[in-house]
Amino acid sequence: MSTDFSLNSELHDKTLVIKTEGYINNIGGEKIVQEFTKHSDVNKLILNLENSKVVNSIGISHLIEVIEILNQGNGKLVFTNLDPTIEKTFSIMGLFQFAEKADTVDAALNS
Amino acid sequence: MVNNNLVEKLALQVESFQEGFELLSKSFSFLEMVKNFLHIIRGNFIITEIYSFHKLANDSNWSNISLKKIPDPSYSSFLHDSENPSLKYFDDPRIEVSITLPLADKTYLGILIGPKFDKSNFTDFDKITLQILLQVFDSAYKSFLNQKKEKALIFELNERVLHLNNLIDAGIEISRYDKKSDLYDIALARITSMTNASSALIEIVKKSQNNHKRYIVFPTGIDPDKILTSRFKMESSFEHNDRLYNFVLSEKETRHNTTAFNELDKMLLDAVARQVQVSIENQFLNDQAIEKEKMEQELIVAASIQQRILPTELPKIAGYEFSGINIPSKEVGGDYYNCIDLGRGKFAFIIADVAGKGIGAALLVSTLDAALYSYLQFDIPLTEMSDRLNKLIYKSSPSDKYITFFIAVLDSHTGELDIVNAGHNPIFLLRKDGTLEKLDAGGVGLGMFDFGIPFAGQKSIINSGDKLFLYTDGIPEAMNEQEEEFSDERMISFFQNNAHISSQEFINALVNDVKGHTGTAPQSDDITALILKKL
Repeated sequence: MSTDFSLNSELHDKTLVIKTEGYINNIGGEKIVQEFTKHSDVNKLILNLENSKVVNSIGISHLIEVIEILNQGNGKLVFTNLDPTIEKTFSIMGLFQFAEKADTVDAALNS
Repeated sequence: MVNNNLVEKLALQVESFQEGFELLSKSFSFLEMVKNFLHIIRGNFIITEIYSFHKLANDSNWSNISLKKIPDPSYSSFLHDSENPSLKYFDDPRIEVSITLPLADKTYLGILIGPKFDKSNFTDFDKITLQILLQVFDSAYKSFLNQKKEKALIFELNERVLHLNNLIDAGIEISRYDKKSDLYDIALARITSMTNASSALIEIVKKSQNNHKRYIVFPTGIDPDKILTSRFKMESSFEHNDRLYNFVLSEKETRHNTTAFNELDKMLLDAVARQVQVSIENQFLNDQAIEKEKMEQELIVAASIQQRILPTELPKIAGYEFSGINIPSKEVGGDYYNCIDLGRGKFAFIIADVAGKGIGAALLVSTLDAALYSYLQFDIPLTEMSDRLNKLIYKSSPSDKYITFFIAVLDSHTGELDIVNAGHNPIFLLRKDGTLEKLDAGGVGLGMFDFGIPFAGQKSIINSGDKLFLYTDGIPEAMNEQEEEFSDERMISFFQNNAHISSQEFINALVNDVKGHTGTAPQSDDITALILKKL
């Protein structure tokens, strides 16, 4: 499988901010899950997708997994800086029923 | 009495069973469900040692799925196979209960329970409670599987809606882009996402350039060869305007591996490729329409320039009769004719043809016209004037533009003709006795070269009854629908046979004869002619 995917993360108390870059496919999704599971006490994940313009269903299934884990512990996932295409994709796939969205990371940190 | 007590105790437990079911049902995964189930058993019977195992239908070995390892391999011997829910009780300090629970997905859950904390034996009540808890787990697991199926179905349904939406959006976006690079990028991103492809490319093969290939890839930076040589790939292609566009998808992703693309993927790929094809074709047609409109505008301007330059009225010359005509073609050529009164009974008869058509040709004619009026004011020899004109046209025109040019200055008193023919068709002088003379001395067309080679002049005299016929190649080269030319021979013959009629009648009859030849074929070049008769 090919990917141009990379990510970096920052921890703010119990909030993890992950910024992605590139195609969120199986590898991209796995990397997000791996990064998230490194931080067991996190109850809020902010996913900054400013530099990710394309996502596929497999990538989405990984995101759903993260949402389910967070929701179980009364945590939440907030997507930020969404490209309109990705926002529409998430909306159709029903992700916003269980996750939130914000314009920027700062707005998500304050939500 | 004993039974009544059991019923009462179990009734009290009902709420706890319900809570257990809810807890199990909320489990995120099978492992979490088992973990929660072990907690419930621990809490109910105050047990410290408890282990869980799992195996697939055709598997002979159990896998330990507990967080805790079994103290030694001998514990495994307590596990047993059964096609029905089964509990076995042992009088052993290590394991007191062995449970085998066949699950709804044809797998098996095995549980080994160690001694109770207070070392007491499992009572009848405990055994019934355990049976009920197994049923609770079984129900919760079925519910869990149903929820999983339901989620998968919803996901699949949403995915289909997403495909449809993506296809519509891709069509709109693709039709909107006028930059081809953006068009390819958006098409690749969309089709890769829609089909869960790992990567994709568009290969553009230009046939006329020795099958030169260009690749646009997604994700950016991936080696095209990696896509073209991948194990699972799917292709769709189309041809347009000397180019082959080949769309290639590589490696359909699953959660665990990659797999072959399916029929739906093929339909989606073909649909996106078709959208790109339509967009490219539309863009091509649009470009052509713009170019055509631009050309038409240019022709209007060119025609306007040409018509302003050509004489609306020719001077009257005592003792002579003459007429001229210019019929521009649809594409507007660069034909020019004129008769300029130089004073003292002298008149310059000019006919010229610019190589090329459109606004460029019209502007060059305009330059020639202005230069002629300027140079003819000075009484300089025609050969020298032709040399100056050559230099001017050479400097002010591109290399593919030049002018074939004929000038004859008539001294109307003596009938003397001073002539230069710069690359123009031979001009004919028909003597009264029927002799035909060719006037072709001069040089190459104006603006062709600037080698400093002098133009040669020619002198002649027009006598009473003689006729001078000037024309451009639009007459002999006028073609009919069979692509047959009017020809020099027919034109000369026409000149010889009709020289006796008036100059205006001659011009009209000539035009009619040419049009009779061309019929319905479109006029491909300007038609220009001028006839001078000495009375």
